[in-house]
Amino acid sequence: MSDRRGERRRRGERSRAIDDLNRRVSASRADVEARGETFYPGASRVHLAAFPPRERWSDWVELDSKAWPERVERRYMLVPTTCFNCESACGLLAYVDRDTLEVRKFEGNPEHPGSRGRNCAKGPATVTQLTDPDRILHPLKRTGARGEGKWERVGWDEALDDIAARIQAAMDEDRHREVMYHVGRPGEDGFTERTLAAWGVDGHNSHTNICSSGARAGYHLWMGMDRPSPDHENARVILLVSSHLEAGHYFNPHAQRVMEGKKRGAKLIVFDTRLSNTATHADHWLSTYPGSEAAVLLAVANHLIRTGRYNHGFVRRWWNWREYLEEAHPDEPVTFEAFGRVLQELYAEFTFEFAAAESGVSAETIEAVAEVVAGAGTRLSTHNWRSAAAGNLGGWQVARALFLLNALMGAIAVPGGTYPNSWNKFVPRPIRMPAQHPKRWNDLTWPSDYPLSLMEMSFLLPHLTAERDGRLDVYFTRVYNPVWTNPDGFSWIEMLTDPERIGLHVALTPTWNETAFLADYVLPMGHSSERHDLTSYEQYDGYWIGFRQPVLRAAHERLGRDVESTRDVTPGEVWEENEFWIELTWRIDPDGSRGIRGFFESRKRPGEKMTVDEYYGWIFENSVPGLPEKAAREGLTPLAYMRRYGAFEIGRGVGAVYEGQVPEVEIEDVHVDAAGRAYTRAAAPPSPNVVPLPPLDDDEEGRRRVGVEVDGVVRRGFPTPSGRLEFWSRTLAEWGWPEMAVPGYVRSHVHKANMERDQMCLISTFRLPVQIHTRSANAKWLNEIAHTNPLWLHPRDASRMGVETGDLVRVETRIGHFVVKAWVTEGIHPGVVACSHHMGRWKTGEGPRQTMATVALTREGSGWGIRRKNGTGPFRSDDADTSRIWWTDVGVHQNMTFPVQPDPISGSHCWHQAVRVRKAGPGDRYGDIVVDTARSRRAFRRWLKLARPAERHSPDGTRRPYWLLRPVRPERQAFRLPDEKAAATPRPAANEPDVREDGQSDR
Amino acid sequence: MELFRALGSLIEPPSREHERIAEALGLPAPPDRSVHGNVVAFQRYPYASVYLGPEGMMGGVARDRVAGFRRALGLESGAEEDHLASLLALLAALDTRRLEEPDQAGRALLGEARVTLVWEHLASWLGPYLASFEGCGDAFYDAWAILLAEALDEVTGRMELPRYLPAALRGASGLADPRREGADAFMAGLLAPLRAGAIVLRDDLVRLGDEVGLACRAGERRYVLRSFFAQDPAATLRWLASHARRWSVRVAGRGPEPVARWWAARATQSARLLAELAEAVVVEEGVAAGVTGK
Repeated sequence: MSDRRGERRRRGERSRAIDDLNRRVSASRADVEARGETFYPGASRVHLAAFPPRERWSDWVELDSKAWPERVERRYMLVPTTCFNCESACGLLAYVDRDTLEVRKFEGNPEHPGSRGRNCAKGPATVTQLTDPDRILHPLKRTGARGEGKWERVGWDEALDDIAARIQAAMDEDRHREVMYHVGRPGEDGFTERTLAAWGVDGHNSHTNICSSGARAGYHLWMGMDRPSPDHENARVILLVSSHLEAGHYFNPHAQRVMEGKKRGAKLIVFDTRLSNTATHADHWLSTYPGSEAAVLLAVANHLIRTGRYNHGFVRRWWNWREYLEEAHPDEPVTFEAFGRVLQELYAEFTFEFAAAESGVSAETIEAVAEVVAGAGTRLSTHNWRSAAAGNLGGWQVARALFLLNALMGAIAVPGGTYPNSWNKFVPRPIRMPAQHPKRWNDLTWPSDYPLSLMEMSFLLPHLTAERDGRLDVYFTRVYNPVWTNPDGFSWIEMLTDPERIGLHVALTPTWNETAFLADYVLPMGHSSERHDLTSYEQYDGYWIGFRQPVLRAAHERLGRDVESTRDVTPGEVWEENEFWIELTWRIDPDGSRGIRGFFESRKRPGEKMTVDEYYGWIFENSVPGLPEKAAREGLTPLAYMRRYGAFEIGRGVGAVYEGQVPEVEIEDVHVDAAGRAYTRAAAPPSPNVVPLPPLDDDEEGRRRVGVEVDGVVRRGFPTPSGRLEFWSRTLAEWGWPEMAVPGYVRSHVHKANMERDQMCLISTFRLPVQIHTRSANAKWLNEIAHTNPLWLHPRDASRMGVETGDLVRVETRIGHFVVKAWVTEGIHPGVVACSHHMGRWKTGEGPRQTMATVALTREGSGWGIRRKNGTGPFRSDDADTSRIWWTDVGVHQNMTFPVQPDPISGSHCWHQAVRVRKAGPGDRYGDIVVDTARSRRAFRRWLKLARPAERHSPDGTRRPYWLLRPVRPERQAFRLPDEKAAATPRPAANEPDVREDGQSDR
Repeated sequence: MELFRALGSLIEPPSREHERIAEALGLPAPPDRSVHGNVVAFQRYPYASVYLGPEGMMGGVARDRVAGFRRALGLESGAEEDHLASLLALLAALDTRRLEEPDQAGRALLGEARVTLVWEHLASWLGPYLASFEGCGDAFYDAWAILLAEALDEVTGRMELPRYLPAALRGASGLADPRREGADAFMAGLLAPLRAGAIVLRDDLVRLGDEVGLACRAGERRYVLRSFFAQDPAATLRWLASHARRWSVRVAGRGPEPVARWWAARATQSARLLAELAEAVVVEEGVAAGVTGK
């Protein structure tokens, strides 16, 4: 008996001891983490703690790998920044050598909520861009003819004064339209748009219409917001219309969440004509014929509708089906039952067999995929960014058809579904936000031919300047290389070398490129670790901000040294753009009389320039909820916190905003109109988040839109004209496209019916996973991994042509041809060829030596040619690695041989090409490019005929629906079409014959 | 219990932060990484699959079971989900989830999941694994293993455990008899704890060489064992038989009773076979050839 009592006592003591230890360790963890330090340093499977604990970032010791086998310790300061090699904005940690204050390497920033410490190859490769022996280190001014390659070093002051004087003159002479800023991927939220707004210039021009605007138009028309934010991590079914896992937009943050979703049992469906790396990870890979994607998606939708396996409650509450029935089916009763019937009839033609015939994917496979989607419930995450939407005439309908699946399942802004980007993105309100809007409309970027274009018609600039007497007096290209990136590059060369069209071209770039060669000023800008920017992107259901910063500036400041300008810590005279814009603005308006300078004047020190510290410090103190408090807990100012950790998560689990009930405080004299839209007299509560959202019109009595009434309750709804998801788009219907008003299928310009028998479809839209356009140029690690772009060719087609891998083939487009090597592979749909757009950089003289071929550039009238003189090779420089370059091939530039092909609705360039591929002839040489720009012009005009201009189709005399998103939105009056405009410009008739890609008419 | 997450983290390569955790747990200061390499990384592989898989290697069906368990809970399954740190972190996470779960049925389900995790994926192998730290020569790991065993006993003592054996142990084959199944299967089984019932560390092989007077060749364990058999098969078998007998004693009473009994019985069974083989070798040289694969 006493033994048992003793045993019980011992057990009790042990139990208490274990509980006590548990309490101690819990308390210790809480205490340590409250101090912002790392408690568990263990493996990443438990926490992301395989990274250096953040409290040791100021003095981190590692062995020098190059010193192996000796154990040489190196002491580092770890300084966060944000990668700028694509738009994902992943967090980086710069390892700054404490002894030399050099950046030794970059790794992932575990404090970054989007990338969570993980990076692709491009992040760490940043260090090779910093040390690139060919990088531009000083401001340069052209001395010879444009493109001649003759430059002189000038001081920043000289360049700034010259540029400022021209802008002043343009403003004084009411030539605001002649000032244009043309950006590649922006990589920041709001600074430059704020600058242009302050200048009162409608001069923002982006690259987006050669990129994502097709898909974004599709999303925008559905929900008022233009990007998807899929919650892959919590999905049951993930459907990608892209090669997203390896190269898509936000691909690293998304790819890691796709893989997490898969590990939790999610099924992955991939639409990709090529057997991409993404396709190899799929449970269901659909190698769809290019342009047929919407047909397949609509067949899936038809299956859901026909079998009744869609979310009736969600559709009833959130679709604008009443509006649709009233406008498109006035004979039908306005009941949900009638809508269900109409819906079924609408998509009945999209059978599996129809989709199979269009896509080349078997009906059984499509049916199997439809069943998988049907089983997803609300956990269906989908994504389309470029891919099919960027390739095809009507590509925007691919995104619309894809999002139809989400809308049918109710998989919108719920866990595992797809969120609108604006609810997963945070753009903090800046200091001194300009309230004014440009007074003048820029019809070089927003021509009335394309009133529904989501973004600027940037790639038409050479044609619009040529045909409409357009001139730009000051043209900034910023980290942008349209000669190489855009279609029809020779037309760009013609424009950029024509002083009548381009008065002064200023290239802001860290790296030489084909466009910068033609500039008047080349101004060196910093790479990702040499500049300030603020970013926030939709990568999961939460929102965060990331801070890009000059890491050496932060390092110096940590050591107690003041840094006045980022220029003081960059190599040579490299600068950052934000300080450049502040300085330029002051020179445009030195005494403040133009009302511009004030936006860049210090609030703390009136009459002095605002510094980047003040700009970002104000934002972090006033516009980022929770940041000041979190910083204070660590004894830091908000700016110091962001300089130390580089990112901050403002919130997560944002959820279904549209379901949110409008609070009492916003309800005042509410009026609900017949469509259910609710308006209030209560002022909108101030929000620190200025993420772009459509401006929605007030009611006739001046109340503002506050939501939409659903089942008797006023809820937030969607920022669309109807307040609901717009299955039927009044905008499309009223602006000349009634037949396109619901999600549908447009037969692409590369549909087989639109091509000759001997033509094939060329896919040119895919990336090499480690390259990003111009920006990854001269990143030696990346170039060693990927430096060529052969033509993917199916064995059946290769056999027909008598071509084997490595043989030269000539690819003929509508305006010219290029010569490339063939890669015979079964990883491509028969009848389709594919060539990545990433390679084929070229120069005519001096320039980057790692990535660019040296070529002879010839011109005879409108006939242009490029012939390769030599590829790359080893060379001596400060970097010993350049003498070890073992490759010579740098690929072929194909984009120059593509005509512009603007989609008449979204404005997106339709990248896919109808081509003839044949074995190269005796006169053909690898890398040959031949183009006739007269044909380019004719191609432009042919595609222009598809447009339905505002002059003919605007329902209200405006250039563009006011509610559509638009950067640097001009004031409302500027939206009105000038009365004389319709009469002044001869327009082609609408509804011209369809675009055929046979190419015969131009020959 | 946070305690498990903390104990799990300590089996990872030591870093400065481990000192704080060890201090909170009243353990000696963690050693440097070279000690971790010798004691843990190269000898006591902290993966369930090594001890619960028929091959005695990482991965395979034992890891798949953990992955399946995680998926059933709606959790991501990673590349090394059967790592001890990962399993203990999961136990801590389930405890937290259970405490935070408002729904009674949900709490009950999480309670069931917790029992399954402990029974199938922890208690099923930690008895012999933690026993292998006895005499490891490092005070920190010695104390860590004792504390983890006590904490696990405490948890299992508060649970209503299943009456059946964990799936990995049920029906697991024992050590192969080389006379019937061949030398390779026999050798593989010797290094698979699930089949042999005993863990054979590198240190054990060094000791075998010392005690029997054989040259211990440098190489992986199977290679070393083969070289011992080539030198003196009977003595090697006798040493291994006594090693298995010692293990049957060492693991008895470690962990929940049916599991501890199973491991002890498996070691005893192996000891018998090894002793029998040793006798046979003495009697008939040909068997030695079979054992060594000559």
